[in-house]
Amino acid sequence: MISLQASKSHRNERVAVNVLRAAAGFLILAITLLLLYLAVEGTKTFFVDKFPVWKFLFSSDYDPGNNVGGSAVFIAGTLLVTGFAIGIGGPFGIAVGVFLSEIAPPRMAQILKPAIELLVGIPSVVYGWLGLTLLVPFLRTHTSSPSGFGLAAAGIVLSIMILPTVISLSEDAFRSLPRSLREGSMALGSTRWQMITRVLLPSASSGLTVALILGIARAIGEALAVQMVIGNASQFPNGIFAPTASLTTEIVIDMGGAPQGSFQEHVLFSMAFLLLLIAMVLILIVRFTLRRRA
Amino acid sequence: MASAVPAARRLASDAAGNRGRHLTDAVATVILWLMAVSIILMLIAFIAYLFYLGFGSLSWQFLTGPPSQQAGGGIGPEIYNSFYILVLTLAFTVPISLAAGIYLQEYARPGLFRSVVQFSAESLATVPSIVMGLFGLLIFVFYFHWGFTALGGALTMTLLNLPALMRVTQEALASVPDSLREASVGLGATKWQTVVRTVLPSAIGRLTTGVVLIAGRIFGETAALIFTAGLSVSANHPYELNPFRSAETLAIHLWYTHSESVIPDVDRVGNGSALVLLIMVLAFNIAARVVGAALTKRFTGRSS
Repeated sequence: MISLQASKSHRNERVAVNVLRAAAGFLILAITLLLLYLAVEGTKTFFVDKFPVWKFLFSSDYDPGNNVGGSAVFIAGTLLVTGFAIGIGGPFGIAVGVFLSEIAPPRMAQILKPAIELLVGIPSVVYGWLGLTLLVPFLRTHTSSPSGFGLAAAGIVLSIMILPTVISLSEDAFRSLPRSLREGSMALGSTRWQMITRVLLPSASSGLTVALILGIARAIGEALAVQMVIGNASQFPNGIFAPTASLTTEIVIDMGGAPQGSFQEHVLFSMAFLLLLIAMVLILIVRFTLRRRA
Repeated sequence: MASAVPAARRLASDAAGNRGRHLTDAVATVILWLMAVSIILMLIAFIAYLFYLGFGSLSWQFLTGPPSQQAGGGIGPEIYNSFYILVLTLAFTVPISLAAGIYLQEYARPGLFRSVVQFSAESLATVPSIVMGLFGLLIFVFYFHWGFTALGGALTMTLLNLPALMRVTQEALASVPDSLREASVGLGATKWQTVVRTVLPSAIGRLTTGVVLIAGRIFGETAALIFTAGLSVSANHPYELNPFRSAETLAIHLWYTHSESVIPDVDRVGNGSALVLLIMVLAFNIAARVVGAALTKRFTGRSS
């Protein structure tokens, strides 16, 4: 009787392990299929339609109806908007990360942390809607921008959206530093600010790099909030308030109308594949940075 | 005597430098406080502004009525679809990510398989949601010929949210002290019995908090659903249970009514939808905390 029970629970054990392992393996399957499918679909522009890769990357001639798919405008748009976002959100986020780790009394942290979690939870369309009803009219009346839509609007919305990522990762980076660093610095007579800028910042640099890169990854992939405020003009912006377009916004706008199998659809998939490649490169940089620290 | 003057001067300048660096420290502290406070104020301003914009739109008719091409349309079917896709997504995401998380945290030894799974999860987590949406389009719409369906949308959302929930599972399990596992195994339990009867109940509070927070994110997601679940609700059966039909969610409705701008009262519908989305996010955030704390107390007797 006892041996029967024991063998039954051993069988359960084997079944359980295999089911669990299969679930873990599913993640490998998912990312592999995703990469494969997008690689095949995303390179049809080059292999099926014979549109040269360098033109896709560096030409701004975009007329997919006539098999011309130069996407430089959208690539530049993505880079500019992301640069804008990380330029504001990066330093701000790191500063608040320092504040949370080194300065904030527990009371303040108890208010600030849930606030940041709420910022994460707000859907991107709601950020877009806030941008549309609050920021765009503000820019229209207070800057040279005639419509208010454009690079600056998209950059500002994105900088707020990436804040929670940068804040919580940079807080982690500072918290993981050993206490002895702080004690040593203080014992030598430095002020708290000197300790932060001269000891903690350099020591946390790899963790902060990760925080910034994941912030960048979030900004590059954001679609709808950007699409609602960027102005959606297929042109290089001639100033920070000028309307432009990015890879994600172009996909959002044109994918629905692109006939299946058309050149236009292929180019849009090439843009998606490019986004995916950028994301993969960023995650590899994160891995490399963390490994170097270890 | 000869050296007293420069020494005194040095002391004086040290004192000045000292005052200088203490001043810098004080100013920096004030600025960091202001930055932190500004985030809280910004959040309060966002919430207040969305209530100010949308409160007038809220009515029973708006919350339950069908959308319309004319003025006066509601968002009832969209709210229903948001919950429908949420439940469907969680039905796939929770078991898979729970199982994968348990495997990595409780069973897997460090090695090739474990690091490949970890790396896959990190990569999946970095895939932009619009790209995930296009993958869903390729698989479910083009390859399976389903067209735009709630099921296709939910499966795409599953891929998008698996890594986050797996991470939540791992962290929740990691927070369970090893002494509990040792006691369970010491009493003769197998590993699986230990996981199911000891470790999981102990981690249930944290798990639930994580699941509810992610549920809030699923509720508001858009980019992955546009090209998988579609942009319309079925006119004849807006509250259908069938997963093989297009299912526009509330978040998509907010974006689509604005971007198409065909209905005359875009602002009213948009403001109302934005406010409902915000209220749902607040509700999910509060629920996550309350339910998580209650479950932890119920199953472990601990207060956090």
